[in-house]
Formats: sequence, structure tokens, C-alpha cells
Amino acid sequence: MGKIILFLLLSMGVVAQEHKLKQDCLSCHKAQQIPSNLIYRRYLMKYSTDARMKESMFRYLKNPNKASSIMPPQFFLKFPMKKPLLLNDDTLKQDIQRYLDRFDVRNKLVLQR
Amino acid sequence: MLISEKRSLVRFLLIYLLSTLLLFSLASWIFYTSSEYHLLDSQREVLKYEAEGIKSKLREMHQSNDDILYYPNNKNVKSAIYDLDKKYIFGTMKDENNLKNRDKDTIYFEAKVEPYYLGAAFLLVSKTIDYEPIQNLQKSILLFMLAASVFFSILGYYLGRLFIAPMRESIEKMNHFIQDTTHELNTPISTILTNVELIEAFGENKNNMNELRRIEIASKTLSRIYDDLTYLNLNHQYHRDIIKINMSELLKERMTYFTSMAETKKLKLITNISENIMVYIDKNDALRLVDNLLSNAIKYNKYNGILEVTLTQKTLIVCDTGIGIKSVDLKQIMQRFKRANKSEGGFGIGLHIVSQVCENYKYDLSMKSEINKGTEVHILWVK
Repeated sequence: MGKIILFLLLSMGVVAQEHKLKQDCLSCHKAQQIPSNLIYRRYLMKYSTDARMKESMFRYLKNPNKASSIMPPQFFLKFPMKKPLLLNDDTLKQDIQRYLDRFDVRNKLVLQR
Repeated sequence: MLISEKRSLVRFLLIYLLSTLLLFSLASWIFYTSSEYHLLDSQREVLKYEAEGIKSKLREMHQSNDDILYYPNNKNVKSAIYDLDKKYIFGTMKDENNLKNRDKDTIYFEAKVEPYYLGAAFLLVSKTIDYEPIQNLQKSILLFMLAASVFFSILGYYLGRLFIAPMRESIEKMNHFIQDTTHELNTPISTILTNVELIEAFGENKNNMNELRRIEIASKTLSRIYDDLTYLNLNHQYHRDIIKINMSELLKERMTYFTSMAETKKLKLITNISENIMVYIDKNDALRLVDNLLSNAIKYNKYNGILEVTLTQKTLIVCDTGIGIKSVDLKQIMQRFKRANKSEGGFGIGLHIVSQVCENYKYDLSMKSEINKGTEVHILWVK
């Protein structure tokens, strides 16, 4: 019984975190049809590690501009430059981590049979 | 084989074989190291090729929007991808720390991935070393070393015997010389002692002339042996006093000296000696030359044979009717201790001394001989 309660609590926690990420980030991405997976892959291809990606994303989200963006200049012809987020640093870092976890390629890789 | 010979042969073989083995081992080791490197390098080439394939696959996966990304899985080749901090991302290698810890029985190839597809900055490809060609190489080298050892052992033994041959010959010559010397000395000494005993037994009278003659001949033989051996031993060391010598007088004097010996064989002496033939020569050399020629002509002559001595302004010819020398032995007869016929006593040094004297004074020495007919020795001192 205790285990079931613990499992339910953890599941609720995960769902709550997912909800927070959607609320803070992905809802706008979805509304503006911005390809989140494509952005993640571009970060991954350039920075390789989570730590480097986090640092770069944080820098961009705090002060969005073409120079610090991972996307090419042509991207901003179609999509407007986003405004700086009003989230505090800790929340922003948590959201970035959730974003990276959501698209992490490690979860998709399997051995070919 | 003598013990000293055996010891020398064993020492030579040991040094020869050890040095050869050392040299071959060194050459084989260099060859083995180089070949092993090339064999491993060819296996490493397979890894390089495989790495290029995986890189290409990584790019495809990176661009894919599929929910499942299939990482290439090769049974023979293991691989893993690592991020920029060398942290394991994914792969077919069981040990995630292979980028640092390497297995001895495995060859690795590390390739950089740029750009970082799927976050991979490093790709490590590995393969278990195929030891079969290396083991084959080891077997071939071992077989070669074995064959070379057998070949060089046989060659070394043959060379050793070849090098020892002159030593063996010298020892044999020395042994024969000692045997001949004791025999040569024993005969005249026995003659002297026997005849002295006879004189003592029968008292001194006119009939003792034969005994005295035998004592004289034996004493002269001893004296000649002594002179020849001394000459042979001191040939290169003593100072020669070259003076003008009346060879005619010297020859007559030595003929007289050998008369008693010639009489025992009842030889007929024919002398054609020109008067006052003068030759520049050391007196001892002249004596040894004449004495040895006359001694040989008497010793190897037949009973009732002829001894002919001719002296002219240019030549000295000594001719006998003795046993003769085979034509095959004529070329070697001048060598020290060489004896064409062992029926008579002697060391085989007489003609060697004659040839030495002729060589020292640049005289032409030639011999003609026929078995059972006789020998003729020509010495030409004026050319």
C-alpha cells in the first residue's frame, strides 16, 4: 500500500513538472510552431554536453538576440525574436533541465538487431 | 681426436653458435616486431573503415525525427560514443570507461566526431585482436631459427674441423719428428756402443779397424744430425758470413768425409769436379748444402750403385742410382719433414735444408727422378 502511495506521489510530481515546462515554454513554442526538437538537436550538435547546452540556453533566454541564438539568421525572418523571460534564474534553470530531459537522445537510442 | 683438439673444437663451436644465435635472434626479433606491427595495423585499418560507417550512421540518426534511434550493432566490432567531457553516451561496449581503460587483447581506434552528432565528440571502436596470423608468424620464425641452428651447427662443425686441421697436422708432424729423432739417434749410438764393447772384449789389435770404421761412420752420422737440426732451428737467426769459397776443394773434402759411408754400400764414385770453382756463400750453408745432397745420394742408393758428382762453373749436379722418387711426390719433397720413402732412416729435413739454402741465395734447384733408376739434383748458381 505504501509503495502504491509512493508511486502515485512520484507520478504526480513528474506530471506536475511536465505541466510546468509546458506552461513556461512549450505552450508558446507550440502556438508559434517553433520546432523544439530541432532546436534541441542544434544545441546538442554544437555543445555536446548537458552542462554546455544549459549554459548557452540560459544565456540566450536571459538575453535573446541573434548572436547568442543557436538558430541561423534566416530563422528569425519567419519567427520573431523572443522577449526575455520573466522567470527567476532557478525556475529557468529547472525548466531548461526539464527541456533537455524531455528531448534527451539517450532515451531514444536502442541497439540495432 | 686429441683432447686438446676436442676442447678447441667445442670452444670454437660454442662461440660461433652463440654469436650466430645472438645475431639471428636480434634479426628475428626486429623482423617479428615489424611484422607484428604491420599485422595489427592491417586489423586497425578495419576499425578505421568501421568508424567511418558509424559516423555516417550517427549523422543519419541525428537528422532523424523518429522516436527510436537504432544504433549500429556489429558482432565483430564494438563501439561507443562519448560527449565532449568524455562521458559515455551510448554504445555496444560493456565497459563504459573504455576510453581510458584499455584491454590488452583488444585493439582500439579513437576517432573525433565533428560536428557532434547526437552529442558525440568521440567515437571509440574496438575489436578483439586476431592472434592467428601473429601465432603463424611466431611459428615461422621459430621454424626458421631451428633450421638455421641446425644448418649453422653443421657448418660450424665443418669449419671447426677445417681450422683444426693445420694444428692436427703440426702435432702429427711433431710426433713423427720425435719418433724419427729418437730412432735416428738410437742407431748410431747403438753402433758406437756395440763396437766399443767389441774392442774392449777382444782387446786392441790390427783387426779392430772395422769396428773403428763403424764408430767413425756412426759418429759422423750423429754429428750431421746435430748440424742439420741446429741449422734448421737457427736458420733465420744466425749471422751469415758470406765469403768467397773454393767449392771444388770443399766438395772434394766432403767426398772424402763420406767415403766410409759410401764404402759400406760399395758405391762407385764418379767425380767430374772442375778446379777452383769459386762461390760466394756462407761456409756453413755450403756445408749443409753439399752434405745433405751427398748424404741423400748415399743413403737412398742401391748396393753397388753409382754416385756421380759434377761441378762446373755454373752448376752442381749430384746423381745417384737409387730408389728414386715418384713424380707426384717431387713437388712436395722440399717441404720440412716430408719423406717420399721411409725405408731408410731420416727426418725428411735434408732436402728442405737444401731448398732453404737455394732460396736464400736465389739458386735454381731442380730435380729429376725415376723410380728404381735414380735421382738427379741440379743446382744452378750462375744464371
